[in-house]
Amino acid sequence: MDRSSSGSRKQILYPVKVTGIDWLAESTFEIRFQRPKAFEFQPGQKIGVVHAGVYRDYTLINAVQDQELALCVRHIADGELTPVLAGARMGDVFHITPAFGYFVYQSSRHPAVFAATGTGIAPFVAFARAGVAPSLLLHGVRASDELYYHEILSSNAEHYTPCISAVPGEETTATGVFPGRVTDFLERQLPPGNYDFYLCGRSEMLRDAMGIIDRRFSESRVFSELFF
Amino acid sequence: MKVYTGTGDSGKTSLFSGERIAKSDARIEAYGDVDELNAATGSVAASLPRQAGAEDLKLQLVQIQSDLFQVGALLATTPNSPSAGRLKPITDAHIKRLEDQIDALQARLDQLNAFILPGGHPSAAWSHMARTICRRAERRVVRLMHSQEAAEDGSTEMLVYLNRLSDYFFVLARYCNRLAGVAEEIWRG
Repeated sequence: MDRSSSGSRKQILYPVKVTGIDWLAESTFEIRFQRPKAFEFQPGQKIGVVHAGVYRDYTLINAVQDQELALCVRHIADGELTPVLAGARMGDVFHITPAFGYFVYQSSRHPAVFAATGTGIAPFVAFARAGVAPSLLLHGVRASDELYYHEILSSNAEHYTPCISAVPGEETTATGVFPGRVTDFLERQLPPGNYDFYLCGRSEMLRDAMGIIDRRFSESRVFSELFF
Repeated sequence: MKVYTGTGDSGKTSLFSGERIAKSDARIEAYGDVDELNAATGSVAASLPRQAGAEDLKLQLVQIQSDLFQVGALLATTPNSPSAGRLKPITDAHIKRLEDQIDALQARLDQLNAFILPGGHPSAAWSHMARTICRRAERRVVRLMHSQEAAEDGSTEMLVYLNRLSDYFFVLARYCNRLAGVAEEIWRG
């Protein structure tokens, strides 16, 4: 365990070796690291990954008992860290922070609706591996090949609805697929009621979803995680 | 990185426990004042005299800022919700630490026999600002507590902490003036 000065606080950093990389879609991959001893986390929490002075947060997607830590990463070609992660080889060393964050599941009597866009699905993969079953899980993507982790997600949620939005001219005819954005589904398909919404995505999705929730489901609770 | 999401454009905001409530709600008013107090505390720290002894004060103020984040998080959470159980409460240990610091600062000051005008060295002036914001935050928290049907876990300690903190800022203001060699202005009526 190392200590590094990040900001004004001493930050604990664990050196971890890469144990595997799998590409999930054209621009998304899963990277796995060896798990440091005594490393603990709760499903939905994130870690900071540090390399050459660059720091980024990623949500853990592995199960709490796994021997490896796993992240779902969207590859940004001109990004500062993701090209390094994408090109990492087995045994390469990165540094990670302890797990942190409050986007964790809290059971209640209200049906849970999980909604994610793109790699915002990560905390819901961790939830699924912990056996948390929402009433509804919406995963918004641009094309069907981006529906990574759909097997575990669809087998866990009571209702799993991919929302495929963007490819012009491409007809979405698959059964159970909603042709449109996650927010379109919330606006037009979700029956009135009091829900516990868990939202993870970009600011535009959070803003639009929150507006719909305030209007259509105003007594609901909302937990949100913004990713960049 | 964008700092805005637009999720509060409708005049509502999310509590830590998930509820969407109006930004004019008593709970938002309370933790908004605590947030303002935290900013004022930062201003005190940023304007401390350069004299020896100020380093300890800075450490104290950073700890207070951390405590105030804790207070803010507690106020931003519906009492007895599952989220509330995830937060660390304000305890007697926080209060005792403040009292010890007040006593230590007070011991180095002359006895006060008159009212003093808030001001002097910038750090002292900011400390008086922090004191008055702290008093307002305390009033808002009292109002919030009285508006609730059930007592909030840890609310007693939170109120005592805020009450003690305004005393701390009063003593700190006097100590900053002493450290900087600025004479206190006595109110002459």
